[in-house]
Amino acid sequence: MTAGDTQADGDAVSGLAADPVGRAPAVRPFLVTAGRVASTRAGTPMPLETQVVSTAAGIVGMERLAFERRDIVALCRQPQSLAEVAARLRLHLNVVRVLAEDLESTGDLSVYVPRSEAANDLSILRRVIDGLRTIPDFRETTP
Amino acid sequence: MTPTETAARGRAQQTADRPPLPVKLVIAGGFGVGKTTTVGSISEIAPLTTEAAITEVAAGVDDLSHTPRKTTTTVAMDFGCITIDPTLKLYLFGTPGQERFGFMWDDLVEGALGGLVIVDTRRLDDCYAAVDYFEHKQIPFVVAVNAFDGKVEHDLDQVRWALDVADQVPLVTFDARRRGSVRDALLAVLELALERAEG
Repeated sequence: MTAGDTQADGDAVSGLAADPVGRAPAVRPFLVTAGRVASTRAGTPMPLETQVVSTAAGIVGMERLAFERRDIVALCRQPQSLAEVAARLRLHLNVVRVLAEDLESTGDLSVYVPRSEAANDLSILRRVIDGLRTIPDFRETTP
Repeated sequence: MTPTETAARGRAQQTADRPPLPVKLVIAGGFGVGKTTTVGSISEIAPLTTEAAITEVAAGVDDLSHTPRKTTTTVAMDFGCITIDPTLKLYLFGTPGQERFGFMWDDLVEGALGGLVIVDTRRLDDCYAAVDYFEHKQIPFVVAVNAFDGKVEHDLDQVRWALDVADQVPLVTFDARRRGSVRDALLAVLELALERAEG
């Protein structure tokens, strides 16, 4: 280890300290993926907002899945993003990326990767603008 | 890729309603500048926190002649979302609260419609990294001065001069605690993105 490495490690620790996220899990994050890190199948990792939803087969067969995989299929009865899955199950985002691809390959989860051209799609931009404009200044105080 | 807005991959059978098309904006700025407050003011869910990996460039960002050594750091990232309609959902991702230069948010920013760089005029330095980043990535962005306690300590011309941002970069003031104010700041970003997409 060089002096540079030590410096980087120190920075990483202070960076975490500045952004506390609660206690570290007892199981090291990538143990659940057998050491695999985020997929590079398509060259770039799946975006954080990628939508995932459980399949009927996945829900029916949930009992044969263990731990995090089962948790993901149970949670994704409602479609949601990879980021939401990671936050709600307190898993590292890259762990969720790996597990989501596993579950997709076994037919338990559908994965919807957004088109990257959306950022330049005029109709999408206009729809987001029109939608935001309807948001009132204050939240309605409904129970 | 199919002509539909999202494409189901693999052989998994679709069961539930088709998920909405997700789009995102990135909320950037220094530590403690109000990113999470901003997200929380307008998100339909309480802001969630997830751990993500970001790449830290060990060498100074101004030293482009050398290949910087990169390390990956796990950081906490806050985010929220707004359902525009059943087929379209806007996510707001806050960049991890780092004051330092040299972080790369590619993993976070890829495909973003635009960025909002929040500035605290008492600590202008904190936002340079975000401004540089969006300029470099050619992502439409707006600089938004967070009016803490309802007041801005400097006028916008002074802020623009101090930040040295291009004239075409919109500069607005807003209050991160107020929903309507956050909405208008996000609209400024989207209108810029639309203007740019229209060419």
